[in-house]
Amino acid sequence: MRSALLLAFAALLPGQALAADQIALDNSVFVERVKTDAAGKQRILLEEPKVVVPGDKLVFVLNYRNAGARAADRFVITNPLPAAVRFADAGDTQPLVSVDGGHAWGRLANLTITLADGTRRAAQPADVTHIRWAFQKPIPAGASGKLMFRGIVK
Amino acid sequence: MMNAPVGGVVHHYRIPAISTFALACALALPAQAYAAGTRAGSTISNTASASFDNGAGTQTIDSNKVDLRVDELLDVTVDSSDPADVATTPGATGQLLTFSLTNNGNGQEGFALSTVANGGGDNFDPTVTQVYLDNGDGVFDAGTDTLYTAGANDPVLDPDQSRTIFILSTIAGSVADGDRGIVSLIAASKTGTGAPGTSFAGAGEGGGDAIVGSTGADGQDAGAYAVSAATVSLVKSAVVADPFGGSEPVPGATITYTIVATVAGSGSVNGLAITDNVPADTSYVANSATLGGAALTDAADGDAGSYDGTRISVALGTIAGGQTRTVTFQTKID
Repeated sequence: MRSALLLAFAALLPGQALAADQIALDNSVFVERVKTDAAGKQRILLEEPKVVVPGDKLVFVLNYRNAGARAADRFVITNPLPAAVRFADAGDTQPLVSVDGGHAWGRLANLTITLADGTRRAAQPADVTHIRWAFQKPIPAGASGKLMFRGIVK
Repeated sequence: MMNAPVGGVVHHYRIPAISTFALACALALPAQAYAAGTRAGSTISNTASASFDNGAGTQTIDSNKVDLRVDELLDVTVDSSDPADVATTPGATGQLLTFSLTNNGNGQEGFALSTVANGGGDNFDPTVTQVYLDNGDGVFDAGTDTLYTAGANDPVLDPDQSRTIFILSTIAGSVADGDRGIVSLIAASKTGTGAPGTSFAGAGEGGGDAIVGSTGADGQDAGAYAVSAATVSLVKSAVVADPFGGSEPVPGATITYTIVATVAGSGSVNGLAITDNVPADTSYVANSATLGGAALTDAADGDAGSYDGTRISVALGTIAGGQTRTVTFQTKID
């Protein structure tokens, strides 16, 4: 809760230190808090929390950067969802998800859950256990990007 | 915009803003209350990994780890368990209202209980005499349930745990049929209450802070008593038939007495019985009593009526308001 940043500013956070292998993956988590200003207008602030409570809306932001001299092929980012976080959405980043602990992957709309009685139902965001982005084209040297998803503290 | 990494990612040399579309979605998310939830004091850790091949085989790296501590959320709800107003009668004591107290927070929490009986919106103020904490069976029993004393045995509930609370009240004798009296049960987190978001530093389970949740960390609900009283009125009339076809009260004339019992009000009367002494200088006509037109025997047997040599008794039992019962019997003038 040290820094209260407007949503737009959150996206301008600088890249983090590079890993030795020259691919960097930086993970930050923000909590969305709705504040009402003096004029009565509601604004959504993204804060970097140290503490959260059930029901808090979290925004997970993954920044990647290829600082090496060569393109990185078959680039895959995987984020196992913390058990205490319920997946909400991934904006328009269109990730693959798993609802079975990382065994099977697919778009959420195509996945199903087998119920105790053997029948299947469509998977819901709350069923998601892992999120993955699998890039089909190499990441050129020097390129960077950002992925995000939202979750709610159970 | 970040478009479909799966189908061919667009790489950015500057970091893009989170889309306005995503922001709109966030605004539309309802403010949901989560029962219990992640236990206070636990830690949420997030780490992502990336795998890639930059010409030297597949490598995997981990991101930094972000740890978030889960603080205690203070939330409580009180619900009346009575499906409708509890029927009572003027002057009644030990009248029961049942409530359910639930800890919707994510830490173990004690709750102080209080009652309000003069909150208005009703016709009379019941007098709360005791509050009991249920022993778990959901049924009031003063022998096995615990008498509540504020501050001494405040109920302590785990996350998501519920406790049944009983309120006993006395109803004034002056209340009228149809009157309602409301009693509210209030439960307040002992850590503190206040506007949602209020923080109590270091007061949470696990050493963290305690944050007031959407309920304000206090809850209340109302139960009501409805007076359901009934009154009985008796109207007695007599018709004389003399032996000559007239209606003169001469010796030998038969007097037919009719007693109409009318019960009024929204309640009912229990154990209603009509007894009438046979007047002096008259003789009861054996087996002449009727109830609602049906003959009654004089013996104290299966039917409602009996004659013991001096008086007629008819047991009417329980009669609801709005009903009448008609009893007749005959005597002969000596």
